[in-house]
Amino acid sequence: MIFGNSRRSKGNNEVAAAAARRAGGMQKIVASVAASLWITLMGLGMAGRANGQAPGQTQTPPPSTTQTQANNESRAKIWGDYDVQQSAEVGYRDSMIGGNLNNYNTFENLATGWRLFDYTVSMRSIDHKGLFFDNLTFSNFGYGGDPNDVSRLRVQKNKIYDFRALFRRDKNIWNYNLLGNPLNPSSSNPAIPVVSSPQALDLTRKMQDYDLTLLPESRVRFRLGFTHNINNGPAAGTVEGGTEPLLSDKLIYTSNAYRMGVDYRGIPRTTLSFDEFLIYSKVDTSANLTSFPYQLSNGTPVNLGLLFNTVGNTPCAAPITNAGTTPPMANANCNGYLAYGLFQNPRSSFPTEHFSFQSAYFKNLSMVGSVGYASGNDTLTDLSETINAWTSRTAARGSTLGGPTQAKRVTVNADWSGDYHITDKMSINDEFSYNNWRIPSMWATVGTQLFATPPSAPGQAGLLLPISTVTTATFPTVCPTAPYNGPGCPQHTSSSLADVTNELVQQFLGQNIRENTIELQYDFTRKISARIGYFFRARTIADFSSTADVSEIYLPGGASGNAGNDFLAARADCAKVGGVLPAACSLNAATGAITEVGIDAGSDAARNLTEIHEHALLVGVSARPTSQLRFNADLLFGSNDNSFTRISPRQLQSYKVHGTYTPTPWASIDMAADIHENRDNVSMVNNLEHGRTFSFVTTLSPNARLWVDFGYHFMDIFMQTEICFADTGSTIFTAPCPVPAATGPLGTLALYTSRDHYAYGDVMWKPYKRVTALLGYSGSIVRGNATMLNKLQPTGPLDFNYLRPFVSLEVLLYKGVSYKTAWNYYGYNDQGVANPAGLAPLPLQDFNGSNVTFSLKYSF
Amino acid sequence: MTCKGCKVHIPKPRRGWKAGRGTKQFSSWMALITLCSAQAYFILARPHSAQAMTLSLQDSQDKPKPDSQAPAASSGYVGIEACKTCHEDLYDSYEKSPHFKTTLDTRRGPSHQGCEGCHGPGAQHVDNPGDPTKIFSFKTASAKVVNDRCMSCHESGKEQMNFSRSVHSHNNVSCLDCHSSHHAKEAEFLLVKAQPELCYTCHLQQKPQFAMPFHHRVNEGLVSCSDCHNPHGTVSDKQLRTSAAQDAVCFKCHTEKRGPFVFEHETVKIEGCQSCHTPHGSPNPHMLKVSNVNLLCLSCHTTSFANAPGAPSFHNQAAQYQACTLCHSQIHGSNFDKDFFK
Repeated sequence: MIFGNSRRSKGNNEVAAAAARRAGGMQKIVASVAASLWITLMGLGMAGRANGQAPGQTQTPPPSTTQTQANNESRAKIWGDYDVQQSAEVGYRDSMIGGNLNNYNTFENLATGWRLFDYTVSMRSIDHKGLFFDNLTFSNFGYGGDPNDVSRLRVQKNKIYDFRALFRRDKNIWNYNLLGNPLNPSSSNPAIPVVSSPQALDLTRKMQDYDLTLLPESRVRFRLGFTHNINNGPAAGTVEGGTEPLLSDKLIYTSNAYRMGVDYRGIPRTTLSFDEFLIYSKVDTSANLTSFPYQLSNGTPVNLGLLFNTVGNTPCAAPITNAGTTPPMANANCNGYLAYGLFQNPRSSFPTEHFSFQSAYFKNLSMVGSVGYASGNDTLTDLSETINAWTSRTAARGSTLGGPTQAKRVTVNADWSGDYHITDKMSINDEFSYNNWRIPSMWATVGTQLFATPPSAPGQAGLLLPISTVTTATFPTVCPTAPYNGPGCPQHTSSSLADVTNELVQQFLGQNIRENTIELQYDFTRKISARIGYFFRARTIADFSSTADVSEIYLPGGASGNAGNDFLAARADCAKVGGVLPAACSLNAATGAITEVGIDAGSDAARNLTEIHEHALLVGVSARPTSQLRFNADLLFGSNDNSFTRISPRQLQSYKVHGTYTPTPWASIDMAADIHENRDNVSMVNNLEHGRTFSFVTTLSPNARLWVDFGYHFMDIFMQTEICFADTGSTIFTAPCPVPAATGPLGTLALYTSRDHYAYGDVMWKPYKRVTALLGYSGSIVRGNATMLNKLQPTGPLDFNYLRPFVSLEVLLYKGVSYKTAWNYYGYNDQGVANPAGLAPLPLQDFNGSNVTFSLKYSF
Repeated sequence: MTCKGCKVHIPKPRRGWKAGRGTKQFSSWMALITLCSAQAYFILARPHSAQAMTLSLQDSQDKPKPDSQAPAASSGYVGIEACKTCHEDLYDSYEKSPHFKTTLDTRRGPSHQGCEGCHGPGAQHVDNPGDPTKIFSFKTASAKVVNDRCMSCHESGKEQMNFSRSVHSHNNVSCLDCHSSHHAKEAEFLLVKAQPELCYTCHLQQKPQFAMPFHHRVNEGLVSCSDCHNPHGTVSDKQLRTSAAQDAVCFKCHTEKRGPFVFEHETVKIEGCQSCHTPHGSPNPHMLKVSNVNLLCLSCHTTSFANAPGAPSFHNQAAQYQACTLCHSQIHGSNFDKDFFK
């Protein structure tokens, strides 16, 4: 209660007195707001310092997440015309977690340190005539180093404005070492396990939302808004090219969204709205090779990549020539990287115009609809990728890539919905929507493949070979005659790509969606109603891909060159067929180079169209037969005549049933079943999927001193699809692929199942008025099965127990001051095969430990 | 005008009142002024004739044309102070709520003001306080009637304008299942519980998903259910929010995946993110639908057809190709690599 009846009884005298207090109160208000900002800034400061914490540092969740029942009295103060409530909770978390801290930080990331667990302030004008605002609420949590920091501000002045601001900052530590792990075998020499995720991410996302409504109660209402999202952080990624070096990425994603809108409510029970949106996004990314664990014989640092399977010649059969040096000496003939650099900074803008209306002007008919148009444009003008490496298959010693890109997205959409009450008991609802979007795009490529010169010294090979510096202009001078193998001449293989690439790539993707849902609802009684409906959706999907070679140049030269293959100039796209060059390729007899001009093979001549028609029957029942019992059911039976992917359903069924029984006001029992069945069970696909969840929840609150809540959920996920693949080392998969034209020779019906038993229980007990105890538990026990195509694959997330018991105690020490302590346990334990035989051993994913939190909360 | 002693709203007589009704109303108006001046508020508010109040406080010409869903505007408004006399506790909560501003808005007359803006005219209730049928009670009304009452004011809001086509509306979910004018636990939006516990009340099946190791941080308070879903209805399935250009709500936070890209992973834009991800939570990294990346990719890329090229024959699953995204790291789309390499 912010203020009690005694103050209420003062009636108008208080209002009059408020005016007298206002002048002095304003000073306190200013001081209060300043204090709020100071506390927040302090929190932000602590958050900033926390950014520097070492990975793996641990913490506990804020008491709010332990669901402790606050035992704090609200203590209001009157400042001027305002009723002011504030509370702050500050404390310390001690985190004692053992095991895989990378995994803990990926899942929880609660570390040791001081935290601002909560700070709130609310101010309410007593006479609703505040000078600048009538209501203000400001709440914050998480500052000081927690991974989730949130601040919310809402300020209102009745009839004048309504302002909301939301700031969110979340820290994402991503290092789950099984995803993307190349699973290096123990038989490799050397056997090098990949213990950290090759797709690690340390991303900080800051999101700000501001919305201002002017004249919210007026016939003409204005809305302004701004959203600023920035994702910033280092990451680790890999690049393909003979082997997979781990790169150091820098990512900055920024998006600014501006909103302006006006509502007109001059027509009775009707609102007309127009909104203009502008989203401006920029992506600044760069990737570099910063780790060089090996060296060449001349001392040049080299990265041989993450893949070490020497039995399979990755990065080569014998990558280390001398393990005794520091760093170890690498074989120059291995696939490896000496340098890598990628920069790209695309910019995009999305202006959108949107008109919408809502009306209940006509008797028994309510309508809502909108029309929108958006035209987005994404451009990339500074693409630059440079590689200094050796790929044995193509004999490439590097490459450069660039060229401007542009992609547009044009969207036209409209929708209308009408709800007509035929009688008091019967209504009909129709919804129609139209959405047409298309993405035409192009890329004018400018690329070069760099090749090595012939060896200029004995034993020079692979990564030690110098890169040829010839251009198409200098080639006739440097390499004047066949077989073009002189000093400085680029040396190719039959698998080498073009030396110079200038292409115009054109892509198109679009979808036209028309859908309608009509439903008839009938109220049998005031407490029981049912509805039946029909859903129809027609989708037309169009795609197009074309590459036009403006000028692809194949220079000659290479050890296996001869007149028959034009000294290896006739290769790749220009390889001779029946001794004849393809029509798009022409030989320059003077230089020996071949130029390709024309449309690439495989380009589309016209747009490919996919038509899908979807039909569904909708049935729903809603009943409250007694005041104690409530029941809802939603059923859907759908059929599609086509599917876009092999796992898009052609038949789908959905059953959602939920019942609530409340025998007494202090007890409730909920049961629910949620079943989804999807099938694309046509021949050679045989896709079946289901998700089935069954839930049981009970809440008991017999009195204010005891509250019990417990529940159990069973979730069953299943997926099967016929797949084909290549697997030369398998002894498990021997059945040939049954799918015609499949690119893999082996086939199997791939399975994935996951069964989750999730149970939780909370007991809140107040043995004394000043003491609140909370005991709780939640745990997920997951067991599953999946087709393992690679025998080295750990089962990972298929089988695990994730248990999180907790206890908290809160004691009201003095008026408005309470002490809180909480203990949270985190136990994540793999229950499957963590290190299959033959895998270079990986660290376990398990972590176990406790977080203890001590905090003081002061309400003032 | 308002009689300041009692705070009873007394409509001002207007010119042009017709003879008969106007005379009657004018007489009632004068009677009320007399009563009010004599500090006879409680006589007015409690045992006196409801008919007299009806006549005295009604000014049909001073109000917008009533409609079927608005509080009955034909008669019987007594004003907020009359309600407060008996229901002081409810008045207390009401006065602190956003609804109090209706009291300050005299533009649309007493049928849109104060307690009677929601509960309808109170004169008969005042006259028969023990008879619950004389005043509209939200406790006993059906969900549809409750929703109609709330929507008569809130339907113009951008958040609520699609309520008539929402799944909640179709399932007879009442506004009062989530909101409470007088007993809200959350000041913001007058919610009966904070999110996500409020949503879990009915959507039980979502709770275990958000308890998975890989999940959106809903329980942690960073993201709320209503960030992605609009409980009052949208144009989209599952009441998902979209941008004005119908972009998926996912792109609001995951901005870098919005594109458009020169090379789109078509499924992302055609079938949506849920083709590969389980958005609430999953036992699998990146909230993928299955535990092994290659299994997920091969489900579509088994054979070449119009929408998905088959995986090349040299992708030997026994070797390093068990995680396709190790090489195809830009799987959501790329501006310069059709194979979604770096």
